[in-house]
Amino acid sequence: MPDIVNIIVNILTSGLPCCLLALGIFLTYRILDFADLTAEGSFLIGASITAAIIYNGGNPFLATILGCLGGAICGFITGCLNRYLKIPKLLSGIITMTATASLAMLIMGLATKEDSVFASQIPLTISPTSTQQTIYTVFWNWDLTNPIITSIVMLVVVAIVVVGIYFFFGTEYGMAIRTTGLNENMARSQGINTTVASIVGVTISNALIGLGGALYVQQTWTVSTISATGYLVIGLASILIGEAIFGKRSFKNWIISVCLGSITYFVIITLAVKFGFPTELKSLLYAILITIALCLPMIKKGIIELWFKCKSRRNKNA
Amino acid sequence: MLKLTNVVKSFNSTGKPEDKITVLNGLNLTINDGEFVTIIGQNGSGKSTTMNLITGVMFPDSGSIELNGGDITKEKEHARARYFGRVFQDPMMGTVAEMSVLENMEIAIRRGKFHSPIKWGFRKEHKELFIEALKEFDLGLENRLSAKAGTLSGGQRQALTLLMATMPQLPSHKSIRKDYVKFSYGDKQKAMEEVEGAYKLLKDEFIAKKSEIKADNSISKKEKKELIRKAFNEFDTEFRKYDVTKPLLLLDEHTAALDPKTAKRVLTLTNKIVREKGFTTLMVTHNMKDAIAYGDRLIMFAGGEIVLDVKGEEKKNLKIEDLLNQFEKVN
Repeated sequence: MPDIVNIIVNILTSGLPCCLLALGIFLTYRILDFADLTAEGSFLIGASITAAIIYNGGNPFLATILGCLGGAICGFITGCLNRYLKIPKLLSGIITMTATASLAMLIMGLATKEDSVFASQIPLTISPTSTQQTIYTVFWNWDLTNPIITSIVMLVVVAIVVVGIYFFFGTEYGMAIRTTGLNENMARSQGINTTVASIVGVTISNALIGLGGALYVQQTWTVSTISATGYLVIGLASILIGEAIFGKRSFKNWIISVCLGSITYFVIITLAVKFGFPTELKSLLYAILITIALCLPMIKKGIIELWFKCKSRRNKNA
Repeated sequence: MLKLTNVVKSFNSTGKPEDKITVLNGLNLTINDGEFVTIIGQNGSGKSTTMNLITGVMFPDSGSIELNGGDITKEKEHARARYFGRVFQDPMMGTVAEMSVLENMEIAIRRGKFHSPIKWGFRKEHKELFIEALKEFDLGLENRLSAKAGTLSGGQRQALTLLMATMPQLPSHKSIRKDYVKFSYGDKQKAMEEVEGAYKLLKDEFIAKKSEIKADNSISKKEKKELIRKAFNEFDTEFRKYDVTKPLLLLDEHTAALDPKTAKRVLTLTNKIVREKGFTTLMVTHNMKDAIAYGDRLIMFAGGEIVLDVKGEEKKNLKIEDLLNQFEKVN
């Protein structure tokens, strides 16, 4: 039995930070219709800021909040590039993402106080001790890092975020942001300042991704400039899987689907590895998964049609 | 009153002077309060550009646009949205397909107002208002408030957009005061003193009433609340008399994408709403019959200028042949 508990905890600890990432990408990609490539950048910035502060013995909660804020600033920059400098959405995301790779290195280098601030080509590693505490260890003895506590803390954070998003996007301004993403011309004709609404939306989205990065780094204890690579794809896959399996009937249903989608994603990955899929070929597995997720609505429709065909044939025979 | 003075608008896609296309060349147009104006003209004659200039989708090269004496030439589209109710040619454009009828109407009732990031977007009192309005429109939508707008037919969507455009606007007291000053013809300082004075008087009256109710011990708390609300409503309606911004209704070929029968229904509905509520209306149409049948003033655009402007009796006696002749003459 402990084996199963172990697997579940493992899935939760790697899946829950990605829930936040997926929610962030969902907000831009689905709600704002903004293909935002900043995601990986703000994830990395969130992770490196948090790691840097914890490495120097800072308050883990402050570190998490600042990580979140770092992500928000990345999003804000992307939004401004797109809205004020009229750079296409995709490109403004790429610009910010490119900049964050260097910025993260700088932050990590400053944190370790090496002779050269760029010494951190090597990953920045924190190791929970009495001076370096993470938000998972402050509730527990630092020398006893308990994965169950970790997953509970993560679950609480994700739950707060989900409830927060649900309520924010039900408020007057949240509604205005949603309108901006869905029909910008109409939003403007209804007196919504779409420039501001769009920037606010991207900022919130990237704040969530930064928070995801902060949670991630406190669990893995290590961050390097390449550790965020591939997370954009994971987030997208989570959204697609969640929508295909759990539906998107209403806004509430939709955000919960996205969270469950990212958990499902890690369930599939973990099971695949468990049943002997070589870990070296993980990227191949990601690609296959996304393809299947994209086809799922079609497959679903096909199955339903097939079922009705069989049913009508049976009725005819009877 | 909407007044366009010497409006010039040209487009230049390449930057070379020889590619410059002047669409409007010194347009002058005055539309009085309560007028229902139909606008006809060929494609490229400048009628859509005029609409876009009025609503702020684009800005004129020179000239000015005035609304009730206030200059709105340089105001951004979202900033002046509250003065205009708009229905577009494309039924998809006026509503958000992925949102429910209720959500769409909630957005419309807050047109041009501050969107609070804390207040919940759905209001019970709004819902009642919407159901009543939908019943009046007779679309069979009053029981389908949670249906996505995308699932409605084109005619229904257009009617819904029309309803959203003509929704009663309840601007805040602050914006009423601001607009009163902005849209006063004469002395701005005097207007400000006038409206602030009136506001203060009414507010003091309300506060006095409120404290009187609060001090009265003979009534229960619930009744007190009710009385205070009543007093506030009185104060509110009294002050709303200072609201000078009566929204204009701008219809940009709003029946062009509909089948003849539905188009007829939507047009009848439009006419009814405009007449009942007294909206100042600009209706662009390609159908000359409609242009003659509806409205009390007809304007024909050609080459960025107004070539025909008839109203009253003269318009009633207008025939399609006359318009066709006019078209021929212009070309």
